[in-house]
Amino acid sequence: MTAAVTDTAGKPGSKGFSIRAIMREAGIGLALIGLIIVFSLASEHFLTANNITNILTQITINLILAVGMTFVILIGGIDLSVGSVLALAAVVAGKAISMPGLGPAEAIALAVLAAMVAGTLCGILNGVVSAWWGLPSFIITLGMLNIARGAALQISDARTIYSFPVEFNNFGSLTVWGLPVVFLVALGLALVAWLVLSRTVFGRLIYGLGNSEEAVRLAGHSVFWLKVAAFTICGFTAGIAAIIYMARLNIASPIAGSGFELNAIAAVIIGGTSLSGGRGSVLGTLLGAFIIGVLANGLILLGLSDFMRQMITGVVIIVAVILDHYRAKLTKG
Amino acid sequence: MKFTKFVTAAAVSLMMAAGGASADEKKPVVGLVMKSLANEFFKDMLEGAKEHEAKRGDYVLKAVGMKNESDIESQINAVENFITQGVDAIVIAPADSRAMVPPLKRAMEAGITVINFDVSLDPKAKEQNGVELAFVGPDNRGGAKLAGEALAAKLGKGAKVVILEGNPGADNALQRKLGFEDAIKEGGLELLDSRTAHWETEEANTVATNMLTAHPDIQGIMAANDSMAIGVVKALESAGKAGEIQVVGFDNIPAVGPMLKDGRLLATVDQFGRDMAANAIDQALEVVKGAPEPQGWVKTPIELVTGN
Repeated sequence: MTAAVTDTAGKPGSKGFSIRAIMREAGIGLALIGLIIVFSLASEHFLTANNITNILTQITINLILAVGMTFVILIGGIDLSVGSVLALAAVVAGKAISMPGLGPAEAIALAVLAAMVAGTLCGILNGVVSAWWGLPSFIITLGMLNIARGAALQISDARTIYSFPVEFNNFGSLTVWGLPVVFLVALGLALVAWLVLSRTVFGRLIYGLGNSEEAVRLAGHSVFWLKVAAFTICGFTAGIAAIIYMARLNIASPIAGSGFELNAIAAVIIGGTSLSGGRGSVLGTLLGAFIIGVLANGLILLGLSDFMRQMITGVVIIVAVILDHYRAKLTKG
Repeated sequence: MKFTKFVTAAAVSLMMAAGGASADEKKPVVGLVMKSLANEFFKDMLEGAKEHEAKRGDYVLKAVGMKNESDIESQINAVENFITQGVDAIVIAPADSRAMVPPLKRAMEAGITVINFDVSLDPKAKEQNGVELAFVGPDNRGGAKLAGEALAAKLGKGAKVVILEGNPGADNALQRKLGFEDAIKEGGLELLDSRTAHWETEEANTVATNMLTAHPDIQGIMAANDSMAIGVVKALESAGKAGEIQVVGFDNIPAVGPMLKDGRLLATVDQFGRDMAANAIDQALEVVKGAPEPQGWVKTPIELVTGN
């Protein structure tokens, strides 16, 4: 039974599937390369070291959120609350970091911990409520979207929290060989997520859950805890994203992150992960986040208006889903 | 026996309640309709209004806010609720300068004094609905021009600048953009690019960074609010250009205090949001007491704020 589950999972473990999996990502990778070529030809500023550093910084938060979102979408769920949870985690961390009588190192450590705990707790709540009562995560996380936003506004009294230790801010703009450290954090998270999903039993079960909940249940695994785990991971990544947000901008705003959930979902979908669950990968999500970031950056360099940028991003999302439709047919046949 | 006792008691308490109400009726009721209380600016405004109510003590304040800046529906409902409650005056910062005209007309027809503050109602929409209503509020365009002029004075003629706009479609966003453009024209500056960052810090950070890449010769950046100015300052710090490129903002929120002090932000504009609702309420109470309605545009103070 377990074998049957993992086989339909389409994870790149066995040989046949790894080729198909590569095929999946190859298409998205080619699209990204195409974009990069077009923008390089159109703007002399695009393919410069500085601009590459900028793009990497700019996709960091979305990449982190999208990695967590991948787990939830793989089990056939969705998390609409990540943007609000990011704001709540940031505000909680902002309160922690500005507590009087703390040295910079202690304050930063406390803030990081606070953001991770706040994010994780929201994720656990999302998971437990939707899994226990078997309710659509769409609705539960829509509720959490409002709860977390309201809590962020309540705790901060709707005010931007500012003045963090210099060390914290320096971390936000630190680069190593032109690579922003915050991006390396995101890349590290993506790598861990990829290993977990493709090389562990837990990862196989996440895919399995998206394909057939019944099969996972019959194989003797707890569907409840698997679902809770997926949402918890998603909440945790929102907490991490909150820390990055604070380090980059040196403020914690209760209105931060509105709409981030849709960008994260878009990255996952463009990356070829199926909204009905069971198919997709973190590598795809990484490429999806790159496509969104490169588009946003390149279209500004070309001097295109913001409205055009919105329209083009929308078209890319739809085209990605249509391509995925055909790809799913091809790999089945 | 018991029943008559009960009826008497009920009648007495009813009379007392009525008596209480008539004593309270001497105090006019002012309905304050604001925009998003998630926005510090309106939060401040509400607190200012509450302090004002406590200080004056001769009116009752009922305040309503909204979820977000574009939540027009809630504002219309709030106005209609105030009409039903029969308040004496409605003081409103409209979420939409056109959509709010018809409900306010109904309020005026119900004999309620209406004062429009913060954002002016659209003159055309007023004319179409046959409404005559003064506007009590700041000159957003003039304020943005002040900030723009400060930038022009610092940079000199021919300097290259960009604008970060507020939400497309919002009247104050448009007015501030026009004000910046006035200053650019008069100061002989060159405008390289102008685009929205939706009033938001993170987006402003990204947009400003990308603008710097597209136009490495930018010398000044005008942001239509301080939240965006913070994002711009962070972008300059990351690019190693803090202090080289001048930034101006708008609103004078507390978070930009340190930036003004050390020169990372050249200037911002204060429109005294804390007093704005209170001033409008004063106007409304005058009219309720029998003073003539204000005419045209009653301008409220604005001030350029710099580090020194």
